[in-house]
Amino acid sequence: MTLKGGTSQACAACKYQRRKCKVECELKPFFPPDNPEMFRNAHKLFGVSNIRKLLREVDPAQWVDAMRSITCQADIRDKFPVHGCCGVINQLQLQLRLAEEELYAVLAQIAFFRQQSNQQNEIESVHDSASQLQALSLFHQEATPSQHQHQPPVNALPMASHQAYPNCNNVVAYNNSGYLDKDNVVNSFWVQNSYNGDNNNNNNQMAMQSVSSSHLNIQQEPAQEYDEMHPFFDTIDDRQSYIDSKDAYDSSSDSSLKDTTQSVDHIADNELKSAAASFSLTSVN
Amino acid sequence: MASSSYSNSPCAACKFLRRKCLPGCIFSPYFPPEEPQKFANVHKIFGASNVSKLLNEILPHQREDAVNSLAYEAEARLKDPVYGCVGAISVLQRQVIRLQKELDATNANLMRFTGNEVTSLPVFPGEGDIANPVYGRRMDHNYGFSLPYASPWNNNPSGDGPEEGGDGSM
Repeated sequence: MTLKGGTSQACAACKYQRRKCKVECELKPFFPPDNPEMFRNAHKLFGVSNIRKLLREVDPAQWVDAMRSITCQADIRDKFPVHGCCGVINQLQLQLRLAEEELYAVLAQIAFFRQQSNQQNEIESVHDSASQLQALSLFHQEATPSQHQHQPPVNALPMASHQAYPNCNNVVAYNNSGYLDKDNVVNSFWVQNSYNGDNNNNNNQMAMQSVSSSHLNIQQEPAQEYDEMHPFFDTIDDRQSYIDSKDAYDSSSDSSLKDTTQSVDHIADNELKSAAASFSLTSVN
Repeated sequence: MASSSYSNSPCAACKFLRRKCLPGCIFSPYFPPEEPQKFANVHKIFGASNVSKLLNEILPHQREDAVNSLAYEAEARLKDPVYGCVGAISVLQRQVIRLQKELDATNANLMRFTGNEVTSLPVFPGEGDIANPVYGRRMDHNYGFSLPYASPWNNNPSGDGPEEGGDGSM
């Protein structure tokens, strides 16, 4: 009710109820007169007496938050008369689930691409090391034994196998958001614990438990690759110390290694033959 | 009070209100006598008359859903008198926004690979052409509805009055 000659207006609640809006009206700060719809919705869902009861149960310092949630809930019920806030919650949970699935799919794609590129890098580095090994072998054939102290770049080869591991770290970094849980345990946990104050901690703990298992699954694949490559690297490392020892070379059981050294010997034989040919020709002339 | 002429016991609402449960009682299909707490909560928060008016405004086949949602909201408000079920909405909304940002960043990371790959690419079921990475079910922050207010729990204290869309905040 508007006061005659006065500047203060009755709040929407008192206006609706057609009564005098006192100075100490507790609903005045929350229902301004220029927004009657807000009060109408709140009154339709809760009723003025119930709103006052709710405010009495709450600390005055939290009245602002309480009233905002009440008006928000009432407006949602006005927009969605059947499902109200429950419909909104279900919709948000569905959105979360869809986003999680999409994130899983994208992360799987990234992991696949990384694996591909790592394999390609490893293959290229192995080829490079094989060619370097040939070049070094030729070099050692011509050089004196004292020059054998040269460190080949083969040490870089084992490192190539470790490139698979950062993939897992990156995947885990993405998973550290605390959302991913294929069993939707986190989703239900949110709603169940929405009334507690420590939502995020619990969600992160549960999410990390599921993430750690998926992390282990992802980590096993690069480890297998490393095991497959490891014997080959060991052989190459041993090869460096075997250059001056034919006995050690003969004892090597790696066929690929033998092929490499056999090709080196073949080249050496060709050089000897050409040298012999030139000698013979020289001798004839 | 249960009438001797009726074989069914009064519904939880009429039992609580201590009145005669008539055949056309609007509460009886949704508040069975085996669940007295359900009506007690709803009545405490919303009031029987308000619930009755609400149920009369919606179609009969939708009333059960409406009652169940009211019961949920009432229970939430009793557990948390300050925020009620709106607190759960706020938490979920923040999580959705953060997850969406993370998804955007991950998609951008994927673009780096798809931009370099020109040979055969994996085809994941349901993901379509990898050359056009699936931003997929891009979430509209409105989620199909407009939340009326900015979140009362953000830094903006003057978030009163209706606002358009839930653009990351309530």
